[in-house]
Amino acid sequence: MAERQPGSTDDANLVRQLAAGSESALGTLYDRYGDAIFAAAYRLTSDRGAAEEVVQETFLTLWNRAEMFDPAAGSLSAWLHTIGRNRAVDRLRAAGRRPQLVALSSPAAPDESETQALERAVAGGRVMAGAMQPPGPEEAADAAHLRDAIRIALGAMPELERMVILLAYQEELSQTEIAERLAWPLGTVKTRTRRALLRLRQALGGEFGPSPELDAVPVYTGKDR
Amino acid sequence: MDHNEAREQLELAAIEPGGIDRLIAGDTASAQAVVAHLAGCPECTDELARLERTSRLIGATIRELPPVDLRERTLASVRALGRPRGPSLAASVDQPAGGPVSLPSALSRDSVPEGPTARGTSGRRAAIGWVAAIAAAVVLSVATTSILVGGRVDQRLAAQSDTIHTLEEVTAATLRVTAEPDAQHVALTGRSDPNLMGSLVFSPGTSELVVVATGLSQPPAGQEYRCWVERSGTRERVGRMFFSGDLAYWIGPVSAVSGLSGGARFGVSLVDASGASLDTEPVLDGEL
Repeated sequence: MAERQPGSTDDANLVRQLAAGSESALGTLYDRYGDAIFAAAYRLTSDRGAAEEVVQETFLTLWNRAEMFDPAAGSLSAWLHTIGRNRAVDRLRAAGRRPQLVALSSPAAPDESETQALERAVAGGRVMAGAMQPPGPEEAADAAHLRDAIRIALGAMPELERMVILLAYQEELSQTEIAERLAWPLGTVKTRTRRALLRLRQALGGEFGPSPELDAVPVYTGKDR
Repeated sequence: MDHNEAREQLELAAIEPGGIDRLIAGDTASAQAVVAHLAGCPECTDELARLERTSRLIGATIRELPPVDLRERTLASVRALGRPRGPSLAASVDQPAGGPVSLPSALSRDSVPEGPTARGTSGRRAAIGWVAAIAAAVVLSVATTSILVGGRVDQRLAAQSDTIHTLEEVTAATLRVTAEPDAQHVALTGRSDPNLMGSLVFSPGTSELVVVATGLSQPPAGQEYRCWVERSGTRERVGRMFFSGDLAYWIGPVSAVSGLSGGARFGVSLVDASGASLDTEPVLDGEL
């Protein structure tokens, strides 16, 4: 989900509606920022369950403390990301773990510079070693473009194909395990997996797309359900 | 094995955790056939490299996507655990009935660290004392709210419920920030009113800050108490003080305290609500 520009007055209006008890405004703000908060929490914790809890706690905090948000002091995006980051670090501490060693730009809020993110990380004693040089603006934009292309292609693909690709990557299930989970024949799982992969590669194109040197591959193999 | 057969095996392996490694290890007859094909086919070898890159990118992106039901679960958790809200309750938070409230004692002078500041007093005793002070404020604020609101029982209960919820938030945030290893407590003092006092705790690591004050009157119409942090002669706005019963408070992340190790000042000034200016004398301040 694409984020709005920092300091959006639209955000401020939604927060005011939320403070007046509008659950619809909360839902709109979730649609706007929920994915990004989850992604940032997952990058810090490498734990999808923990990232889910961070998202729930972040929006609960937004609901409980909506009056505290001051659009003149900063964007809602940065505010929510800071709350989410703190909750994620709390969880790591509680579990006796350290944050993942990630590129320094990764945990930065959308409107926070890499330098600010580095200063914050150093001040918080969370830098254990140097990480790779963060990507430049063009690389970062390219990566964001590719991620958006994947999300759009996922949203557009048939439900059954999306299901196998999510089980494969999010739950790291093998095709045999997916077949057992969904009570599908293994051949069906393989067919849908290949179709889904092809759709994603076609959406990405370029160096990630299907190899142009090879003949067109019949994606459909075997009898489908 | 031809290109298409090899490609099918590669695609299926690329999407399984560790699948390519298992395929290249050649543990099965079909895997051995793929390995043999790759040895003599640069196109399929290139395709393998493309697939590995693509699968890494797709996997990284998909793992960062929340489950589809998280939205509903999040809204449900807010419904179950969030503070009660509604037009009347929201108004009661911003403008507690009764106008200017009689002042304090919710945080007595004994309950805040001695001296103008108490930096570095993050020991257990100091933390317990500070949290106890907040707890006392909870009780007194609820009692005060009940008296101020008066009127119908349901209105009193709603106001009390909201006050309790707010102060639970303050207490929870205080405990959370105090538990940070770099937590710093600062006593705030009134510039001209000896009854005006406050306490502040912040963590330079997480940048979360909690400030509470007693002795502040509700601001006149069109004005508000604005918190700020001054570093190198420049004031950065933090947020406006909210009132719950006797207690004025603010909780949240403050970028200006991120990595802070002294040389800054926290203050609260009475300013025009419509303006952005912070250049007025503070009514309450302390050195960070």
